[in-house]
Amino acid sequence: MNQRFKRHPELRLADVEGDGVVLHLGTRRYFSVSESGLVILQALESPQSVADLVRRLMERYEVTAEQAEASVHEFLDTCRAAELLDPEEAR
Amino acid sequence: MTATGVRVRCADAGVRAALEAWIDGLRLDAPPGLTLEVSVMPVVSTELEDVVFEQPGVRFARLPEGQGLRLAWDEAAAAAEVPAAAMLASVWLSPAAVERLERCTRIFLMAVLVVLLRRIGWFHLHAATAIDPDGRGWLVAGNAEAGKSTTAALLAASGWRVGTDDAAFLERHGERVVVHTCHAPIALRKGGRRLLARAGGIALPARGKVGFWPEDLGGVWTPLVDPEIIIFTSVGDTHTAAEPLARSAAVAELVRWSAWVMLELHLAQRHLDVLTRLTHQARCYRVTLGSDLFARPNRLIELVT
Repeated sequence: MNQRFKRHPELRLADVEGDGVVLHLGTRRYFSVSESGLVILQALESPQSVADLVRRLMERYEVTAEQAEASVHEFLDTCRAAELLDPEEAR
Repeated sequence: MTATGVRVRCADAGVRAALEAWIDGLRLDAPPGLTLEVSVMPVVSTELEDVVFEQPGVRFARLPEGQGLRLAWDEAAAAAEVPAAAMLASVWLSPAAVERLERCTRIFLMAVLVVLLRRIGWFHLHAATAIDPDGRGWLVAGNAEAGKSTTAALLAASGWRVGTDDAAFLERHGERVVVHTCHAPIALRKGGRRLLARAGGIALPARGKVGFWPEDLGGVWTPLVDPEIIIFTSVGDTHTAAEPLARSAAVAELVRWSAWVMLELHLAQRHLDVLTRLTHQARCYRVTLGSDLFARPNRLIELVT
């Protein structure tokens, strides 16, 4: 399975000293995200697989592949629940 | 052309003169190029699809394909369209709206103007503005119950320069964000007037408030503030207290009080960048306003310096 994810086109991001503020113009809700969450959302401007995202986190932080993969899955679950992913891509 | 650079076009000379007087009175330092094109029509439709935002009396809808916003005022049938790519707002007023032109301008046309000003990169924030005796610019942000107007009046009476008690317009100016304001009375409820021990003022019966010009309170009106301190206020009991805010929390607060950031896809990132930039230049605090402030207004300065 090589599912790819992309962020919702109506998201706008702000990088605030590493942390992120995310606006969803579709649901008109806003969120604060951690530094690694912001890294993932920035990457999701274009379609990415879980493996792509894991690689990004490992390049950026001193984490094992298992730790990075767990973080990616957890963050993608959160994004899914908050409708932050492009429904066209996340299939 | 009005003094603010916002042109009013209207075939009805009486309506045009009234609207030009309103815009002149705001004393907004906007550059030329914006136009309000107003038509008085026998029938005005206030039907909207895809309503994305409402404020008391005014509804906002996105035009298809991100082509701008449509606004409607139901009280006396008025509507407007502000295209995304134009420096012009088309406004349609029913005869009933013309009959209530003062109310229409204050509630509906002000909202249209807020959208139009976005076209030149002026982004609205619910905040009072002031400059303290040492020349530092302040923003006091929060909702209608946050004590912004009472604080603005108190500061004006204490010799601060004050711009507005609510309608601030943020503009990116190089590496800084500056804040423009309208010249409008500071609107106080009964409680605020009692705390300030103020009588007189201009009756604002439709709002249940009384207005005071900053100048009438002993202050000086300032049309422009370069913020160094931002406080997000709430009203407490006796003691005024301040707590520093992390920048990400401050950006989230600014988004909350600058809700227009959510409305237009083509301007949202630029608006968000302005809010973020503001937290680079200003220290941000959450402040609980207490009654002790009335004895020592400059306690605000002590708390943040």
